[in-house]
Amino acid sequence: MTIEPIDLDTPERRASAKLVVAGLSKTFGSGAGAIEALAPTNLSLARGDFLCVVGPSGCGKTTLLNIVAGFERPSAGHVELDGRQITRPGAERGVVFQQGALFNWMSVLENVAFGPRAGGTSAAPAREQARALLDLVGLAAFADKYPYQLSGGMQQRVGIARALANDPEILLMDEPFAALDQQTRELLQEEIAKIWRTTGKTVLWITHSIEEALFLATHIVVMTARPGRIKAAFRVRFSEHEDPLVSATPEFVAARREIFGLLRSESQRAQRLEVEA
Amino acid sequence: MSPRDQLYEGGELVDEAQLARRADRRDSLLTAGTFLTLLVLWTAVTGSGLWAPLVNPIFLPSPVAVGDAFVRLAEQGYQGKSLLHHVSVSLYRFAMAFTVCILIGVPLGLLMGMMRPVRAVFEPPIQAIRPIPKLALLPLFLIWFGIGNLSKIIVISAPVLPLIAIGAMQAVRSVSQKKIQAAQALGASTWTIFWRVVLPASLPGIFTAIRMSISIGVTMLVAAELTATSDGIAWMALTASEYLATDVVLVGVAIMATLGYALDRAFRTLELSIVHWSGKD
Repeated sequence: MTIEPIDLDTPERRASAKLVVAGLSKTFGSGAGAIEALAPTNLSLARGDFLCVVGPSGCGKTTLLNIVAGFERPSAGHVELDGRQITRPGAERGVVFQQGALFNWMSVLENVAFGPRAGGTSAAPAREQARALLDLVGLAAFADKYPYQLSGGMQQRVGIARALANDPEILLMDEPFAALDQQTRELLQEEIAKIWRTTGKTVLWITHSIEEALFLATHIVVMTARPGRIKAAFRVRFSEHEDPLVSATPEFVAARREIFGLLRSESQRAQRLEVEA
Repeated sequence: MSPRDQLYEGGELVDEAQLARRADRRDSLLTAGTFLTLLVLWTAVTGSGLWAPLVNPIFLPSPVAVGDAFVRLAEQGYQGKSLLHHVSVSLYRFAMAFTVCILIGVPLGLLMGMMRPVRAVFEPPIQAIRPIPKLALLPLFLIWFGIGNLSKIIVISAPVLPLIAIGAMQAVRSVSQKKIQAAQALGASTWTIFWRVVLPASLPGIFTAIRMSISIGVTMLVAAELTATSDGIAWMALTASEYLATDVVLVGVAIMATLGYALDRAFRTLELSIVHWSGKD
């Protein structure tokens, strides 16, 4: 059991894909001050794939997620979900942010019920749905609290439940655990793995953490420093084992070392770019 | 127990209420100490009938003399009208001006924050008007709006309305982009995003703008009652100074200070009970 290089842009993958990213690029600004954040990128995700994108800061991985979410428009190329081109944000794509995106003026329950309510579900069924999801993320007892009364880890659980409430086709996660401490992060990673197995959602997950990617993903993409492009892609199978201690196995350590080696030179290049800027 | 008194950490309830209460009590004692010190200094300088005043009572009457003046004014009124009348006339002008400013300024500021065309139309003139000393416009307001209460209300509103409108606009513009994106990704319409996200997220900033404009409103009350009136608490203080009735001046000043302070506290209480999420990001 180890990681295998894979091409995420084969015609076969594309034919049966849930999400297709085709020739997608993004340049901010224009003229001499233009910054190419994302070089033309192609990849295809099948239903139920869990893709982790790792890369140095400023490599355009968040830009990629923002375009898939519909928050930003690409400079070239396009994204298709179930064959339909994405032009703006939509309820079929659930987004979880790093932090600070919960509505502090609503109770935890109202936060989770927000999506169904915005989609036209009436209050009582929306609340029922929200309660079930809070149960799923282990926060049933905190339904009537406000988000700011919860710890960072619990707030992220609320964010995940809120994104799941619309029963989205794909989950887009922008470094959701980056602001959490190590213990909380590991616990939440196990729970995310469990939720992913029960719901079978397609996931696009941005992260800095190689361990997180190896532990959760079915596929990993390593990005280069700016302008971001796919440096390597892998098929990963550690998540199939449902074992929290899988990270201690020699195979996991070897995989970690391989990706670390790929990332290291890019991180160094990213730092030089930052110093020059 | 209000939500503010509780804090959950890792699922465990930490009761911070007692600590907070102790700190509140200490703060109240310190504040009371400040006022007590001022009163002691005032008494020491003016004698208060206990010893010979160090300052001529015409410049600074003793606290006892000011207290006497207050009782006298409360019993006999000032220039033919009761003290209550003067206070309520001023309160009426102040309240009318503030109601108008909030009813116009808050929606205008919200629109300016939400829509670029509205901002392009209204922000430059408002910003251009703001630095003009409104006192200089007083004669114009009297000519345009007469010597009745209307001109007084407009004088008070002149600096307050821009302050509230710009404050509300900035509150909207500083709403976290992430929260708006989160609502968009949950499928919310523009209308829902405004009512359920932008408005509640802006409320703390709007309250701050209103509270900041209270002291300016009290200042403008003095300007409004400077001329063309024969009642009001600021008018009382202003006319009394012409007769060197310093004790009456100080009664007027104390009433206006109390008014401003009480209004600020009232809005603070309202703010705490409505926008419990203020400062929680």
